[in-house]
Amino acid sequence: MIGVILLFLVCAAIVAGIYLNVTARAAAVGRQIQEMQVRVYGYHYLTGDTGETYVPIEELEQRIANLSSQLAYITSYSIMQERVKDLNLTPIDADHIDYMEVPGYVERQTTSLAPPPVPVVVTASTIAPEFKESLFDWVADQVRKTARLFSEAQP
Amino acid sequence: MRRYMAEHVVPTGRIRRKQPLREVPEITHSVSEKAGQTLTGWRFNLLGVLFLLAGVMVIIQLIRLQFSPERSEFVLQGEQYSRTLHIFYPPRGDIYDRWGRLLAGSTLVYEVGVQVGNVENPDSIAFALSKVLVSHPEYNYAGYSDDIFAVIHQAQISGTAYVQLADFVTPEELTQLQDWARNYANLPNVDYGEAGRPSLDGLVYRLRLERYYPENELGANVLGFVNREGTGMFGVESEFNDLLAGAPQSVWMTLNPYQVTEIPQLKAGADIILTIDREIQAAAEDVLDKGLEDSGADGGVLLVMDPNTGEMLAIASTPRLNPNEYWNYASVFTDNTPYNRAVSQDYEPGSVFKILTMASALDNGTVTPDTQFVDTGSIQIGGITIHNWDWGAWGPQDMQGCMAHSLNVCLTWVASQLGAGPFYQYMQSFGFGRTTGIDLAGEAPGRLKLPGDTDWFEAELGTNSFGQGIAVTPIQMVMAISSVANAKGEMMMPHVMRSMVRDGVQYTPTPQIVGQPISAETARHLTDLLANSLEGESSDALVEGYRVAGKTGTAEIATPTGYTSDETNASFAGWGPVGNPRFLVYVWLEKPTSSPWGSVVAAPVFHDMVERLVVLMDIPPDGVLQGLVNH
Repeated sequence: MIGVILLFLVCAAIVAGIYLNVTARAAAVGRQIQEMQVRVYGYHYLTGDTGETYVPIEELEQRIANLSSQLAYITSYSIMQERVKDLNLTPIDADHIDYMEVPGYVERQTTSLAPPPVPVVVTASTIAPEFKESLFDWVADQVRKTARLFSEAQP
Repeated sequence: MRRYMAEHVVPTGRIRRKQPLREVPEITHSVSEKAGQTLTGWRFNLLGVLFLLAGVMVIIQLIRLQFSPERSEFVLQGEQYSRTLHIFYPPRGDIYDRWGRLLAGSTLVYEVGVQVGNVENPDSIAFALSKVLVSHPEYNYAGYSDDIFAVIHQAQISGTAYVQLADFVTPEELTQLQDWARNYANLPNVDYGEAGRPSLDGLVYRLRLERYYPENELGANVLGFVNREGTGMFGVESEFNDLLAGAPQSVWMTLNPYQVTEIPQLKAGADIILTIDREIQAAAEDVLDKGLEDSGADGGVLLVMDPNTGEMLAIASTPRLNPNEYWNYASVFTDNTPYNRAVSQDYEPGSVFKILTMASALDNGTVTPDTQFVDTGSIQIGGITIHNWDWGAWGPQDMQGCMAHSLNVCLTWVASQLGAGPFYQYMQSFGFGRTTGIDLAGEAPGRLKLPGDTDWFEAELGTNSFGQGIAVTPIQMVMAISSVANAKGEMMMPHVMRSMVRDGVQYTPTPQIVGQPISAETARHLTDLLANSLEGESSDALVEGYRVAGKTGTAEIATPTGYTSDETNASFAGWGPVGNPRFLVYVWLEKPTSSPWGSVVAAPVFHDMVERLVVLMDIPPDGVLQGLVNH
């Protein structure tokens, strides 16, 4: 009797141990995820975060947007004009341009940032001839098929 | 001795005798002790009952709460402690010019605040912020440091967890704050007296995106700006605010690690590609600014449109605001000046309107280019006398002469021959009196008085024929004249959005034809007539190598005491090359001082613009093009 009770207790302890282990790991992973999420929407300490290697996608996208804007600024019209001035370049006049015929020249196209929408193909169900042919059409069709059958059967 | 043994030695082989019970003295309790014992038992019982009752009451209360009407409220309160609400804003869509150059993007900024519980030295935080954020007008004032200290102190008293102290902090400023924090952290551990050890502990930041315009003022009147609340104001930013901003998502983030959920994938705002060409826009603003300087005008507009599609290549208007510093709006736009005059300000266009009067009469068959009119210098209509701009009589004129010399008397006669009914039908077909539908915020409809209106008189037919007594916006004029300029008679809807990119797909709407007020034949005849007129007058608008058509306009400005010739609106509408129209340029200078005449101040602006346009648009001179075609 004591043995059975002890066995029961040991089994219960094993199950409880496994349960605790699994739940503890789940909680730890949940906390890690929460910490990562805080990185996305939470606050950062002034002296912290600098050594962190993990950068969320959202933050990367923000940095990319920032860099794109910086690039746009350094190639902006006013900055490019300054560079033109620094290089002693002047805008060309219309009467100093020589035009020539270039076979196959394709005119400059406006920007395309993404593909156009794929045309939606509507697959209309075809109506079987049985539903639209008249009795006369059906008889004529059967005659044609029979005649074709005989003609193919001939050597 | 035996007796002694008998007492102490148990002999073997004999059953041990049972030890006699030791006599225990009986304990006797006094009466008072017995009463105390009874009392203690009673108290214990009472306590037990009380605890039992308390337990039962707790259970009853728990059951009652489960079924009480306030249950949902309690559940809600409980949930407030188990989760936090976060609103996720998707990044705002970018705006590009027609060649993909970024006109409106995003840049990183920071919100700075304190986690009050971690603050060690509020004085240090207040001092650091007041020194670092000096470039922010809203934070750069005497007493800002004291205000910060007071806010933190108040939060500490009230038990507030977090307080925002500054927003729109730049990356450079944040770096400075981080340097301050590191320097404070490295200070030696000595006694700092009453002030305490300097520390920025508790100061935290959160990064986010802010609208940024890399071209600054360039195209500002078209773009508009995004205010502090993230709402688009004016221009494209306002018109397409819903598309650009995307849909923010509110999400309850649980604090329970077992119930952690994924942050939702935000649907970013759509990107917009404009029809605007950055180089042409810059040229238009440059030419307009020079025109304003030369003419001494108060303000102006310069529009460039592709008359075949209605695409606006440039919309230049004054004044212009740097949208990165939108808080200067009130100081830039004074006296109710609209953000974009081209769409929001109506005015009397003057003789440039004669293009449409003549187009109507030619299309209606009332006149032909060869119709003769003898100009006596005045004409009566509706009880008033109309004179020419020079008060002179120009004698026999054909329609080209009437347009070339901009004769008010002739055009009044043409309108009267056409009749009020057809004239105003044509004007409505040209889109006057209603908005064009251009995709820019704040468009004004103008005013076209019609027969039957209480304030319409017969004389209006005469004055309207040469562009007085009618209120139109520059964009309305451009749309109406596009039907003549494209030589097809089709009036194209002006628009600035070329494409929209959403969910990885680029949508490009087709150009819209608003209507066909005149025939293609009329458009071609009128274009020829106007081109000949410019050539015959050796107009300042002519551009060497290119045949252009156009018309000047000078309108007197209405004042409370009537029209005055001292202040005018000078305009020019022109297009070209006549053989293959690629551009339509509209110039309006408000109150020029060097000369009141459109032919003197506005025509040169058109000339300068076209000279730059033909280079920017790769348009070869007519002769070169003809040579290439023949070759």
